[in-house]
Amino acid sequence: MIEVLEPGLSTTVQDTGRYGHYHIGMPPSGAMDQYAHTVANYVVGNDEDAATLEMTYAGPDLKFQEDAVVAATGADMEPKRNGEPIPMWTAVQVEAGDVLSFEFATEGVRSYLSVAGGIDVPEVMESRSTYTLIGIGGHEGRDLEEGDELPVGSANGNATVGAAVDDGHVPDYANNDTISVVMGLCDYRLTDEGREEFLGTQWKISDEADRVGCRLTGPDIEGMFEEREQPFGAGPDPTNVVDLGYPVGSIQMAGQPIILMRDAVTGGGYATVGTVTSIDRDMLAQARTHNEITFEAVDVEEALEARASQDEQLELIRATFLE
Amino acid sequence: MTNSIQRQELSSPRYEYGGDDHVFVELSEEMSFDANFEAQAITQEIRERDLPGIIEVAPANASYLLHFDPGELHPDDLIEELKALREEIDITEYTWEARVIDFPVLYDDPWTHEVMMKFRDRHQDPDSTDLEYSARINGFDSVDEFIDAHSGAPQMVTMVGFVPGLPWTFQMVPREQQIEVPKYVQPRTETPGRAVGYGGAFTATYPVKGAGGYQLFGRTPVEVLDVDQELPDFQDSMVLPNPGDILNYRRIDREEYDAIREEVEAGTYEYNIGTIDFRPEEFFEDPQGYNERITEVLD
Amino acid sequence: MTERTTVTAPMPGVFYRRPDPDEPTFVEPGDAVESGEVIGLIGVMKNFHDITADEDGEVVEFFVENEQEVDAGDELAELEVS
Repeated sequence: MIEVLEPGLSTTVQDTGRYGHYHIGMPPSGAMDQYAHTVANYVVGNDEDAATLEMTYAGPDLKFQEDAVVAATGADMEPKRNGEPIPMWTAVQVEAGDVLSFEFATEGVRSYLSVAGGIDVPEVMESRSTYTLIGIGGHEGRDLEEGDELPVGSANGNATVGAAVDDGHVPDYANNDTISVVMGLCDYRLTDEGREEFLGTQWKISDEADRVGCRLTGPDIEGMFEEREQPFGAGPDPTNVVDLGYPVGSIQMAGQPIILMRDAVTGGGYATVGTVTSIDRDMLAQARTHNEITFEAVDVEEALEARASQDEQLELIRATFLE
Repeated sequence: MTNSIQRQELSSPRYEYGGDDHVFVELSEEMSFDANFEAQAITQEIRERDLPGIIEVAPANASYLLHFDPGELHPDDLIEELKALREEIDITEYTWEARVIDFPVLYDDPWTHEVMMKFRDRHQDPDSTDLEYSARINGFDSVDEFIDAHSGAPQMVTMVGFVPGLPWTFQMVPREQQIEVPKYVQPRTETPGRAVGYGGAFTATYPVKGAGGYQLFGRTPVEVLDVDQELPDFQDSMVLPNPGDILNYRRIDREEYDAIREEVEAGTYEYNIGTIDFRPEEFFEDPQGYNERITEVLD
Repeated sequence: MTERTTVTAPMPGVFYRRPDPDEPTFVEPGDAVESGEVIGLIGVMKNFHDITADEDGEVVEFFVENEQEVDAGDELAELEVS
């Protein structure tokens, strides 16, 4: 059992996500930075689908009531065990009674804490991910609060205390201001100039940007759209389309561009103009409030290559720790 | 007035990449039963084929969305498969067992009325209610006639989403009889849960309270989402409506609203649900006659 | 000689000097504060983080306005340590 002494700004239980229910409006939820979540699990000998804690900007203080092997990955929140600094991206032994504490993220936004055996909250629709909008998954469907107690699953004994991820596999969260996007979906709604402006703009990440959506501020988007006679059922606004499904990572043009993240709405009537590549969604999860980002259009082959190369890297890390 | 559904040619579906792990297919830019039934037929077929790497299969109003693992499936191979599937499918021959659900609505209810009055400054016509405005722009002489039209023919669930359990429904009448309204100029920051609203050509029921931009017509006493799965009809899923279901909006009074609400809150309410083997061709030929058969399956 | 300490923003967001728009400010310059007392909030991602005095003392001044955007490391207020 892990007792929450201080919850931090927003700490939730997350895993790889809840799948198979998008058609009834259920977004995947799950760790915003899947890479950091997955590596955290491998380091302590877990499979990638074990649940970790996702911490945001300000980390929690946690008291362990049992011995455990843990690892912190993602944004560096200067983790400490009983006040003594412990390394990131490394399997660390904690003993019953130890307090693990986290400070503020100075680069990146989100840290992940894995525990050998995983955070063993009950599954809802085959996932432990927290989805706060309807209050399901994780610990009581919500952000952690002081006094919460989290059960830990039984460890498989694969963890090697002290084992660390190679520096080459640790992302640099200070340089994540260019985000790759595969343009498409409803981008035919943009004029050529509108598309150019969209891709040429430095968009600022708003302070509301969260697990639901990365809301961006910048120039007026209405002017980027092609005038047309609206099709039946779409509604009169030029940014409206007949309500359709939104991919996770797609950019919805609703007054401002909003990149739909893992707790987002699954569909709606605003034109989407492209989709952030799966690996850059992880980078976006670490992009800080008020930072400026630029979209770089890539073709699908480039996006697939980048994904395949990250998958290889993850397989390499998995093999190091789990075999 | 025509009494058949005019068929729509879906001449140029667009196959689009959604990053490296989604494919989005827009069958038509405009809404039609042809587009929706094809989206449902193709997604149904994809589910049955159980292709390796497919993670999500989500039909929408006139489009559909697939999420897949690019490590197992290349999007171009998937798109080829989808194009081939389209050649094979004839939606007039496609049938499915549709659930027909009685869906009581208290139109012009006090709760959505109170909320809409708070947000008149975000509306096209601040001096009318949403019902008055919608009735007028659709050529009805009174709100009463407008409500009769909205509840006068069943509606197909053409998409579920936005949030879990929210059904978009499309009335099963020829296009010239279909209601069309704009969304609010600026979305409201508040909508009561179970509010029944209208935007574009669709009715939607808000599962939980939250922001919203649809014109507010009324409120239902029944749930579309039951997270704790306490009501008997939610035993298998926390969400009631599924794409392909048919909702029959029924105008009720306050007394019936309160009575149903009491049963829902006690966890004893049982939905009035019938089933019909839905045949698009028969529906296209004689929607009025077919709709009568649909409503007859309800007790 | 008096000792002064500067309170900085630990994270980016919007700085609030009031718990709620309709309520009074947490503290004003000249007010005495205790270590751990809330002197403002940072709102980010629809969550709020308490900004507290790190020592007993008196508020000298605020460097940012109510509802002003701040970044991590920005100076928020100065305290005179007692």
